[in-house]
Amino acid sequence: MEQFEQVFNTPQSEQPIIEFRGVSKTYQTGTHALEDVNIKINNGEFVFVVGSSGAGKSTFMKLIMREEKANTGKIIVNGFDLTSMKRKNVPMLRRTMGIVFQDFRLIPNMNVFENVAFAMHVVGAGSKEIRKEVSKALSKVGLGHKARSMPSQLSGGEQQRVGLARALVNSPDLIIADEPTGNVDPNMSYEIVSLLTEINKRGTTVLMVTHDHNLVRDFNHRVIMLDGGKIVADNAGGEF
Amino acid sequence: MKLSSVRYLTKEGVKNVWVNRLMSLASIGVLVACMVIIGLAVLISENVNLAVGNLEKQNVVMAYMKDYNWALYSEKETGETASQDTEQAEQPDQNGIKQSDYVIHNEQEAMALCEEIEKIPNVASVTFVSSEEGLETVKGSMLEGQEEYFSFLNEENPMSCAAKITMTDMSLFDQTVNKIKELEGIDAIQSQSDLAETIAAIKNGIGVAGFWIIGILMLISLVIVSNTIRVTMYNRKLEISIMKAVGATDAFVRIPFVVEGMLIGVISALIAEGLLYFCYRVATETIVSTLRTEDIVKFGDMAWILLGIFVGIGILAGIIGSLFMISKYLRREGSEFAAI
Repeated sequence: MEQFEQVFNTPQSEQPIIEFRGVSKTYQTGTHALEDVNIKINNGEFVFVVGSSGAGKSTFMKLIMREEKANTGKIIVNGFDLTSMKRKNVPMLRRTMGIVFQDFRLIPNMNVFENVAFAMHVVGAGSKEIRKEVSKALSKVGLGHKARSMPSQLSGGEQQRVGLARALVNSPDLIIADEPTGNVDPNMSYEIVSLLTEINKRGTTVLMVTHDHNLVRDFNHRVIMLDGGKIVADNAGGEF
Repeated sequence: MKLSSVRYLTKEGVKNVWVNRLMSLASIGVLVACMVIIGLAVLISENVNLAVGNLEKQNVVMAYMKDYNWALYSEKETGETASQDTEQAEQPDQNGIKQSDYVIHNEQEAMALCEEIEKIPNVASVTFVSSEEGLETVKGSMLEGQEEYFSFLNEENPMSCAAKITMTDMSLFDQTVNKIKELEGIDAIQSQSDLAETIAAIKNGIGVAGFWIIGILMLISLVIVSNTIRVTMYNRKLEISIMKAVGATDAFVRIPFVVEGMLIGVISALIAEGLLYFCYRVATETIVSTLRTEDIVKFGDMAWILLGIFVGIGILAGIIGSLFMISKYLRREGSEFAAI
């Protein structure tokens, strides 16, 4: 746990890490994905994003990652103005965030260590630093002993924890988790959200998309509810 | 980019060749075939150039001079003399020839004219041929029995002195001949203009055919490498999507593919060089023993040039093919959530 504290010791602040001002997004197909969204997520918050299929959750996440550009409005993430950001600067934005996917996205021919190290190679880390940081990240998610295992030898929950270690290894300011519990059993779901909560307590902002109402109720974090491309609820107490 | 990243990415590129070994092998096979054909085209072209060069050396132009013999033996139009200056009264010699009837009075003047010819562009070499040497050449070329018929040549020499001229570019043959004719002191020019035209046409044909063969095969090489890279890219879709999600730059994503393309190109170049050496050796041994000619380009003289061409094609095809494919992919499939 000491190591954990060293890695995630960023102080929580009231500065918004994500800010949407009058953001609308319409795809070329004519689908109105988001309409006039205004929202602020402060540094150090844990936010659940909920909503039914087609509510605009994916578009909301894609706009934050700058996979898509808004048609109107302004988006600020971690100090980057995404509306005026050039394509070549997108990697710099993404290095400030860690992403956890619903389907884990582990590379099958790489072992656990290599899967996590991969994220560090991308940012140009040296091999010494990689060895040190990957070991730390794997210890945080309780998989230090499975560093040499292949993804196929792990359970769904373990695979998602590897995905979490990969998201954490570059010490991001923001973690975006896209239904991280969608492919794991209920017990493991609680473990993963607990882990994310723990990470959040150390100062990292967590934005998690989920369909699991029980998790949202049990973890008592801020909930943003989307419906038809609009924010229909924004509750700080986990109620929706 | 840090050295550690370059090392990592290079290693990844090399690994790709092995991971996709079947596809790499297929690409190497097609690339080798293309390179061997390109190499053969180069070697054939060099050999034809050598043969044409030999023909060119034989295709000499004789420029005959207006010397004493010209004044004595040639049929001139009325009033045609070398000099129209009649102010100074001149006594004709026993043959009725005056000094002013011809231009080249001695060997010094003939040599000076040769130097004038040498200054004309496209003239490669000029050799002075005296009337005596000219006569010997004529006698030497006579068939059996002809000597008797031309026995008068033993008593008198009707040959004018001449300049034996070779040219650099046979396609400029007519222009060059016209310039030589314009010189004061030149009477007539004896040449094989048909042969010159043929030589120029052969050279031109080889150049055009070579250009298209090499161009088309290079395009094929490019398509082959691009296709291999595309397969690798789709096989590594997951890795690319994760790379992009964690903040990889486009250059970082591209480098392993470029390395893979280059490596395929270099391996193909080395195999093609070896294969071509073997094929060419067998072919030349057969030609030498059948045609009994030694006028064949040696592989050793062309080995480094060919290797340079092959490696160049391989690396270029690797770089262009992979950059083209990955750029297209990155533009179209930038989405991390939808990439898989």
